[in-house]
Amino acid sequence: MDVLLQALLNGILIGGILICLTVGFQLTFGVLHVIDFAVGGWVMLGGYAAYWASRLLGVDPFISVFFVFVLFAGVGCALGPLIYHVRTSRYARPDLMALAFTFGIFIMMRGGALWLWSFDSRSVDSVLSGASLSIGPVTVPLLRLSAFGMALLLGLGLFVLLYRTRFGMAVRAVAQNRDHAGLMGVDVKRVSAYVYGIYTGITASAGVLLATIYSVNPEVGVRYTLFAFFVAVLAGLGSVGGVLVAGLVLGLVESLVGTYVGTRYSLLVVFATLYLVLLISPKGILQRGI
Amino acid sequence: MVSKLSRPQLASLLALFAGMVVLAVLPAYIDPYSLRIVTGVLMWAGLACAWNIVGGYAGYISFGHSAFFGIGAYVTGILMQRDLGIPFLATLPLGILVAVGVAAAIGGPTMRLRGAYFAIATWAFAEMLMQMAIVLDITGGTAGLSLPAYLNEFFFYYTMLIVALGVYLGTWYLLERTRFGYRLKALRDHEPAAEAMGIHTTRVKVQAFALSAGITSLFGSIYAYWVTFIDPRSVMGPEITDQMVVMVLLGGLGTVWGPALGATVLWLINRYIWSELGDTAIYLPILGLIIALIVLFLPNGLISLLPGGRRGHGLLGRLLRKL
Amino acid sequence: MTNKISRRNFLKGSAYGLGALTLGAPAIHVRAQEPVIRCGVVTSLSGENRFGGNLTRRGYDLWAEEINKLGGVEINGDRYRVEMFYGDAQSRPASGADAAERLIIRDEVSILFGPYTSGVTLAVQPICAKYGVPMISGSAESPNVWLEKPRFNFGMIPAVDHTAGSSIGVIAEATGAASVGVVGVDEPFSKETAEGFRNGVNDTGLELTRFELFPANADLTPVVSNLKADNPDLVAVGGHEEVLINFINTAKSLDFRPKAILMHYGVTAAAFADQLGADANGVLGISVWTPNLPYRDDLFGTASDYDELSLARWGSHPDYTEAACSASGLVLQDAARRLGKPPVWDRQARLELVEALEETDIETFYGPVAFEREGNHYHNNIQPVPVVIQITEGRVVPVAPSDAAQTELVYPLPAFS
Repeated sequence: MDVLLQALLNGILIGGILICLTVGFQLTFGVLHVIDFAVGGWVMLGGYAAYWASRLLGVDPFISVFFVFVLFAGVGCALGPLIYHVRTSRYARPDLMALAFTFGIFIMMRGGALWLWSFDSRSVDSVLSGASLSIGPVTVPLLRLSAFGMALLLGLGLFVLLYRTRFGMAVRAVAQNRDHAGLMGVDVKRVSAYVYGIYTGITASAGVLLATIYSVNPEVGVRYTLFAFFVAVLAGLGSVGGVLVAGLVLGLVESLVGTYVGTRYSLLVVFATLYLVLLISPKGILQRGI
Repeated sequence: MVSKLSRPQLASLLALFAGMVVLAVLPAYIDPYSLRIVTGVLMWAGLACAWNIVGGYAGYISFGHSAFFGIGAYVTGILMQRDLGIPFLATLPLGILVAVGVAAAIGGPTMRLRGAYFAIATWAFAEMLMQMAIVLDITGGTAGLSLPAYLNEFFFYYTMLIVALGVYLGTWYLLERTRFGYRLKALRDHEPAAEAMGIHTTRVKVQAFALSAGITSLFGSIYAYWVTFIDPRSVMGPEITDQMVVMVLLGGLGTVWGPALGATVLWLINRYIWSELGDTAIYLPILGLIIALIVLFLPNGLISLLPGGRRGHGLLGRLLRKL
Repeated sequence: MTNKISRRNFLKGSAYGLGALTLGAPAIHVRAQEPVIRCGVVTSLSGENRFGGNLTRRGYDLWAEEINKLGGVEINGDRYRVEMFYGDAQSRPASGADAAERLIIRDEVSILFGPYTSGVTLAVQPICAKYGVPMISGSAESPNVWLEKPRFNFGMIPAVDHTAGSSIGVIAEATGAASVGVVGVDEPFSKETAEGFRNGVNDTGLELTRFELFPANADLTPVVSNLKADNPDLVAVGGHEEVLINFINTAKSLDFRPKAILMHYGVTAAAFADQLGADANGVLGISVWTPNLPYRDDLFGTASDYDELSLARWGSHPDYTEAACSASGLVLQDAARRLGKPPVWDRQARLELVEALEETDIETFYGPVAFEREGNHYHNNIQPVPVVIQITEGRVVPVAPSDAAQTELVYPLPAFS
């Protein structure tokens, strides 16, 4: 029983991490329809930013996360128009060209990090590192709990942004139909750039948390890209609400299989689950994808 | 007759012929390392062509082709182990058979998915297969398999050359000259319309998928014998698929010769900057930058640079018909 | 002299046309006037094994720099400088094979310094056989490399099946630990390490509470929670440095502190303690070399001299991987001296060099080096005796067996700070 409770908790908290990873990607897919290979790259760069802030300036990741958000949101807004340009070009299959473009950017990030900051894995220390809460038989790692909190906050924040602000209305309009939104006076290009900025900001901030929970090195990006894609697709592409469900499902599958079948098979079952769910429910787990 | 050819057509034909001659005699003039790189070019060109059948002609973006590459590599690898000792050439059809069977089995349900869903579902399938290769005993697990080493670079060069040429000519004929090709393109351009026209879209899609999988598996088999060592990451990892996709996109999606061009240019650039700057990791950002720049400035792929542009295959087709 | 075309510049020029790269690279080469010993390094500078790969490079480079300060390798009274060429294996077997063939054909190296992982090593060995080029692998700890009986490959570090198992017994003796949980990443080397641990547990008659492998990308909370539920005295983990850092972070966050933690590989590298800070203290590891060992040689001096030299050069204390790689150079030096032929070595000379390498029997700062001539560890140097180390105040300190111990083994571990 104790083991089961701990396994469930572990699963939920892994889910929180997956949600943080994916939620920004989901937003940008909804608006720009770009499969962004560089998700993991933003996570990795966010992690490095937190590392250097902590090492060089002694700033705790829980403070630097805000600066990281602003910094990377700025970078994203600058890069956004380029992605938009590639995605909306009149050539054949612009969606694929955008994929190749972000793939190129991803290799640049990965190689750049390897070249500049060398090969070491960096561990980032924070006030909550190692702190845990014991509730009966269950141990709750506070860092992971804060990641889960961040996941919930992001979900809530995006909901407010999308459904309670004028900017959100513009975003939804662009997501529904780019041309019509343009005709209604929405500056589609600018909205897309902002959305891309929000996405990079969120994802890099998630990277800060992931670097404190795990560690960061130049090659971690591929793994995060993989998981972000999988959660996003299981959620139904573009569906922010679906991410919450899909993240928790995959987290629980990984944890329960790891506990009761053997960790060796956890990813095998995770990928098989994803594949089978897609075959049964082609638009994601809530059938809400685009 | 030849005399009726226009000057550019004649030039293309001559270029094609000259290219064949150069490829045939090349091994006599270059050192084994260069030959190795060219062999790599041929392999990637063939793989890109295989991916293009599904990605470019059927319009389904597969991120899971590394699964079929791995199937070919493992079938050959396992059958050539000392206790079985099946000769290399006999393993090839078996690899193709397994890959085609798997593709036909998963093709039906998987190809009901569209766009990014299909892409990521195939990726999930490939990751699943890689995890299976890690967990199973027959594959040697993560320790991998060593194959008997056959140290004859000419054998591998000519095998790759013949297979790659065969693949290109075969796909050119099949996709540009038969009803199968027209059906495939019809369903890429508008699947419901194609279905309304009476095309059995599921069957056509799955046929294309299986064809593509079989070719990919064939190259996987040759790769395994060539490199002599395989493990789950190196033959089923996502890097294999990524490379195929990028090569096709850079060369020219949905064209016959685009993938060959993309594979040649990308693999040569890759190996060149890797060998010149290989003692640091700086070649990686440079490679990424080159890919991004090509996308920005040549969005129709490198093939748009050639005379005849995107319709380069049309030109070639006209030429061959006239002969 | 000034208008001489070097091979590299020629190639750079030719790449302006990509066609020229494939067609126009016939062998135009002008070799430097004085003969040098051209050495190729095939190792993983990028990809998932970049950590160990870059460490091996440091080791090889340090030897090359030091020997060149003396004017080079001495053969028949003359000294020949060493020139290093690099190939990044990208942690991929095919790239490793590409790199090896390039170094042999283009850079005309007469000897290779070997890759870091078994996969790349296994793909490079046939290339060595094809051209008759010997290879010294400063770091190939995977036992399956030697099962193939590679004629041209020589390994400096005892394979992990040789070291991991015995260390369990040593620790059990020193601490009285009775139960052991073994986990490892499902990847070639780490899996073999974990299996070595498991065999050690079974051989010593301890209680094995759990043997579990996990995929490289998996989250570690299920693994750690399982271990916590069993609560063994000793937890042994097979993995590379990133996983080990993540393991400690996860164990700390789940408030799990076994009485002893044993890890391999990567804890002996300075980066491990550096990144984990105080949390690294108390972690046990296996090392076949430490700076306190009493060995010495003429080039590097004593083991502690080497430690200081490497610290000054790279900014961190070397671990046994770097030491073994530097010692690879010493092995080459010795074999070349006995070969007695000046470079450049042709195929025949290289085959004689292989024979000379087989007869290696020297002492270096790294310890004695002699390669096995038969059995499952063919061409592997199993002379070094593994010691158990413990991270103490951020330094790697030998704690067992008792004749090598510098301080008392801390057992059981105090709670995380």
